[in-house]
Amino acid sequence: MSLAVAITGASTATGLDGLPAPVRSRAARAERLAQLALAAGAGALAAAGLARFDGPPGPELGVVLGTAFGCFLTNAAYQRRLALTGPAGASPRLFAATVSNAAAGELAIACRLGGPAITLSAGAASGLAAVGEAAELLEAGAARAIVAGGMDAVAEPLEAWVRDGGFDAARPLAEAAAAVVLEPIARAVGRGVPILGAVRGVASGFEPDWEAAAAGAGLAAAVRGALAQAGAGEVALVVLGAPPPLARLEQRVLLAALGRVPRRALAPKDAGGETLGAAGVLGVLAALGALAPRECGLVLDVCSSGHVAACVVERQEIPA
Amino acid sequence: MSLRTSAAVITGCGVVSPFGLGVAALWDALLAGRSAIAPIAGFPADDLVPNAAAEIRGVAADDPDRAGALALLAAHEALAAAGLDPGAVDPTRFGVVLGTTCGGMRIFEAWDAAAAAGTPPPADVARVPYFAPAVRLAGALGLRGPVATTQLACASGTAAVALAAGWVQRGRADVVLAGGTDILSRFLVAGFNCLRATAERARPFDRDRRGLVLGEGAALLVIEAAAHAARRGADVLAAVRGAGAAADAVHMTAPDREGGGAARAIEAALAAAGVIPAAVDFVSAHGTGTSYNDAMEAAALGRVFGAAGPAVHSIKGAVGHTLGAAGALEAVVCVQAIATGLIPPTVGLVTPDPACAALDLVRGEPRRRRVDVALSTSSGFAGANAAIVLGAP
Repeated sequence: MSLAVAITGASTATGLDGLPAPVRSRAARAERLAQLALAAGAGALAAAGLARFDGPPGPELGVVLGTAFGCFLTNAAYQRRLALTGPAGASPRLFAATVSNAAAGELAIACRLGGPAITLSAGAASGLAAVGEAAELLEAGAARAIVAGGMDAVAEPLEAWVRDGGFDAARPLAEAAAAVVLEPIARAVGRGVPILGAVRGVASGFEPDWEAAAAGAGLAAAVRGALAQAGAGEVALVVLGAPPPLARLEQRVLLAALGRVPRRALAPKDAGGETLGAAGVLGVLAALGALAPRECGLVLDVCSSGHVAACVVERQEIPA
Repeated sequence: MSLRTSAAVITGCGVVSPFGLGVAALWDALLAGRSAIAPIAGFPADDLVPNAAAEIRGVAADDPDRAGALALLAAHEALAAAGLDPGAVDPTRFGVVLGTTCGGMRIFEAWDAAAAAGTPPPADVARVPYFAPAVRLAGALGLRGPVATTQLACASGTAAVALAAGWVQRGRADVVLAGGTDILSRFLVAGFNCLRATAERARPFDRDRRGLVLGEGAALLVIEAAAHAARRGADVLAAVRGAGAAADAVHMTAPDREGGGAARAIEAALAAAGVIPAAVDFVSAHGTGTSYNDAMEAAALGRVFGAAGPAVHSIKGAVGHTLGAAGALEAVVCVQAIATGLIPPTVGLVTPDPACAALDLVRGEPRRRRVDVALSTSSGFAGANAAIVLGAP
C-alpha cells in the first residue's frame, strides 16, 4: 500500500544566523556535524509549525538522520590530540562527540524531541535512507511527526582521508545539510498546515560491484520497490544520484524499470558536488521544486560504497 | 503460539565474544559466572588508567579490519545455525543491519599516524567508515538487499535488531542479518577513561560499582519473515515482537536520572508487541556498572514494571561493555534464555545498590525460569535509548 506521509516543513542549513536563541546557543558549543543538523532540523520544524524549545520532551516528536561519515572530523581532532599528548591530554569534550548520533541528540535536546531518535549510515545514500525509515516509522505509529534529514561535515581531515584512497566520491565533496518534517497526511490536514509534498514509496538495496555481469540487481530492486509501494503509474521526473562512472548503469536500470527514462531529469550533484548524507534530502527538495501538483518524481541516491536508495515523492501543495 | 506470516522471527545466532568463538562459549561462561576482564594485551596500554578490558584473543588477530572480520565470523555461525545458504535466497531480498560505534578505529589510528608522519596510508584505509563492516558483510555474502549501519552509540546493536525486524515486517526483505560489532582501541579506552567512566571491575547494580569496563565482540542474528522460515522448514528460536526507541533530550553524556527516555523506549516496544508489563519474564538490562546508568535504569524499569518486576540480568560484568555489539549480544542472551529456561547471574553483583534494590536482580547462580517474553534495553551517549521485545515462538 502506498505510503501516506506528508512533508510539512523543509530547510537546508545556511549557517547559524537567524536560528532561535536556544538552538544557536547549543550550536555555538557543538561540533560541526551537530551544527549542521541543528540548523537544518530546527529550520524544518519551524517551517512545519512544530518548533518548541522548552518544556518536557515530547514523545510524539522524533528525529531520524542520515550521515555518511558522521563524526569523522571530531574523531580526527580527538585522535590527533591523543596522539600528541597521550591519554593525559585526551579531551572529554571531544570524546563525548565522537558518536555520529551526537547530532540527533543535540537536536532532540534543543527542540524537545522525546520520540525515536535514530541515526543511520548508508554511505552517500544515508539521507534518503533516513527519509525512508522515518516515513515507515510514522506509518507504524511510532511518532506523530519526525524530522528526517541528512548531513555531512566536510573539512581537511576528511578530504585528506579521501585523497588517501578512503572513499571514491567521483565528484568534489561539498558540505551540506537538509531536513524535512514528515507526518501522516491525515494529521497534517487535521493541523491545517501547508503540505509541500508526500512520500509515497521508499526502498533501498546494495550494489557493490558495478562492473560485474549481474550489476544492477540491487539498484533495480530498490527502484522497483519504491515504485511498487507508491503505486505510481507515471513518473514525471527523476533525480539522478550516481557518481559519473556509474551513470550508464543507472540509466539502464531506469530504462528497464520505467520503460523509458523521463525527459525531465535533474542531477543536483553535477552542480552542487557530492553532498553525501544531505544528497538524498536535497534530491527530494529538488524534485518537489520541479514537479507540478499531483505529479510524482523518483529520487535516487547511489554511492560507490554500494548503498543505493530510491524514493517516490508527489507534489501536493495543499495550502493551509 | 502461531505467528503472523509477516512476523519477524529469529532462526539463527552467531557470536564472537571475549570467551571465544560461538554462542555456546558465551552462554556456558555466563552460566558459570565467569568474567573475561583482564589487563589489556592487544595494544600498548601501560599509560591507560585503568587498563582493564574484556578482549577477544586469538581470533582475527591479523585482520586489520577486525570489526568486519568478527562480524563475518559471527554471521557464518548464525547462518549455519539457521540452516540457511545465502545463495538459496533472492539476494535482493536479503539485507544487513549492523551497529557499531568504533568499528574501523584501529585503521583510523594507523591512518592518522601515517598522515602525521607523511608516510603512505594503511592498505585498508577504505574500511575506516562506520558503514564498512556492514558493506564487508553484504559483499562477502553476495547480498543485494537493504544495507544500513545503525548509529545510536551504545544502543546501536539493539537498534539494528529493531530496524531489521521492521524491514521484514514491512516486506522490504525476507531475511536480514542483524547485530553489532565493535573492537577495542586506544582511542576508545583513553576516551572513556578521560570521562572518568571506567573501573578495573564491572559490577552492574552493585552498591560498590565504580564504572564500566570496555569489551569487544560481535553478534549476528538471522531475522527472517515467519512465512519464509516456514517455507524452508527452519526452526524458529524466537520472535521479535516489538521495538521502541526514544531520546532522553536531557544531556549529551549523562543519562536522564529519572529514566524518562529509557522508559519511553520500553513502553513503545511493549506497545508495539502488544505485551503488558506483567507478561515480561526477563530483562537483559543495559547494566553498565556506572553509578548514573544503573540508577537511571532502575528508575526506568520501576516506572514501567512497578514493584513486582521481572528477573533482571546484565552481561557486562562478564564481557564488559561491548558498545555497538552489546545490544546484539544481549539479544542472543534473550534467545538463549527463551530456549533454555535459564537466566545467567550478573557477574560482579554481590550487594545490590539500594537505588537498584527494587529490581529482581539475578545473582550468584543461574535462575531456572520459563521465559516466554524477554526485554532487552540499551542506552547510549547523546540520550539514545532502544528496546526490543523477544518472545517464544
